[in-house]
Amino acid sequence: MKSFLPLNWGLPGGSRIAAGKVFGTAEPGARLRMFQVYRFDPDNTGGPRLDTYYVNRDDCGPMVLDALIKIKNEIDPTLTFRRSCREGICGSCAMSIDGRNWLACTQPIDDIPGAVRIFPLNHFPVVKDLVVDLNHALAQHRLIEPWLKTETPAPEKERLQTPEDHAKLDGYYECILCFCCTGGCPSYWWNGDRYLGPAVLLQAYRWLIDSRDEATGERLDRLEDPFRLFRCHTIMNCTKTCPKKLQPAKAIAMTKAMLVERQH
Amino acid sequence: MTDNRERAMDRPRSPDLQVYRPTLTMTMSIAHRTTGAALYLGMVLFVWWLVAAAAGPAAYAVEQRFMRSLPGLIILFGFTWAALHHTLGGVRHLIWDTGLAHDYPWREYLARATLFGSLSLTGILWIIGYLT
Repeated sequence: MKSFLPLNWGLPGGSRIAAGKVFGTAEPGARLRMFQVYRFDPDNTGGPRLDTYYVNRDDCGPMVLDALIKIKNEIDPTLTFRRSCREGICGSCAMSIDGRNWLACTQPIDDIPGAVRIFPLNHFPVVKDLVVDLNHALAQHRLIEPWLKTETPAPEKERLQTPEDHAKLDGYYECILCFCCTGGCPSYWWNGDRYLGPAVLLQAYRWLIDSRDEATGERLDRLEDPFRLFRCHTIMNCTKTCPKKLQPAKAIAMTKAMLVERQH
Repeated sequence: MTDNRERAMDRPRSPDLQVYRPTLTMTMSIAHRTTGAALYLGMVLFVWWLVAAAAGPAAYAVEQRFMRSLPGLIILFGFTWAALHHTLGGVRHLIWDTGLAHDYPWREYLARATLFGSLSLTGILWIIGYLT
């Protein structure tokens, strides 16, 4: 099964996706891959559409991002998407590829059977084509104050941390804030206005367990809320769709555990 | 970006369930919700049973006749499965809440165990029910 719902089921009028243009045809002999890409042009009238591109796999790099760049360079220069590092560390090219969110630059084309369907990160407002508006999610990130907070006087040099204490951050500090997980979270789709979402909560946990941070209580106070934290229902989409193989669901579970622990 | 203010204020939303490939844990989460709602409604039948038992032999006979009919048996079977599935789902969430079994493939095993466990326990319970 490709998805629980048919393509336009339940989408509001302005978000319905129409059939789009087809670029190129299946040439005989060439190893062609079909890419179906979500398009939305804010400068024109009309809603989103799904355009089809045929890309010669023998003349294209291995990753989905290579195909998108090839399409933009050689087939349709109007195609818009974010990208920067092309090696999975900047988090810019996060998008919905073949039904899960991943970085286009680390997603091999050959791992996807059939047509490659590409959409913007799920449920976010679309600025243009594959570019989504992350303002709300980034404001939520600001809310958890993702920086070292201290009260004790600053030492002469840096604040030290033992290797053991630093090891506790392994699996949490590596987050690149691509928002693949937040885009893949059904709780965030339906309560994203108040629920902070997996990416932001993983960041919150990363500061909660930092041995140098001195605002743990204040941070927990801010999270103790039926929506901000407790809308997580351990659906596990976040952990499965993390291109850095982190576990936001575990970070959230451990945060809930910290809240229980401090009551005793 | 666009200079058209109206278009910028009224952006389309990217599709979610319409394009997300179903995963087992997501399906189990939906099943947990559905069985929870079903149990809520099923309580009406449970109350009927208790009230009928208190009301007297005639009322109890009516209730029993319904429960022994095919639709009644199907509902009871579904209620048994929903109760067991929801219970095992609760245990699964309890395990995840302690931070265990978040790794691959344990999270998948746990989701499969919930489904396999609830189906087989329902079967076993009904076989025992008919044998005794």
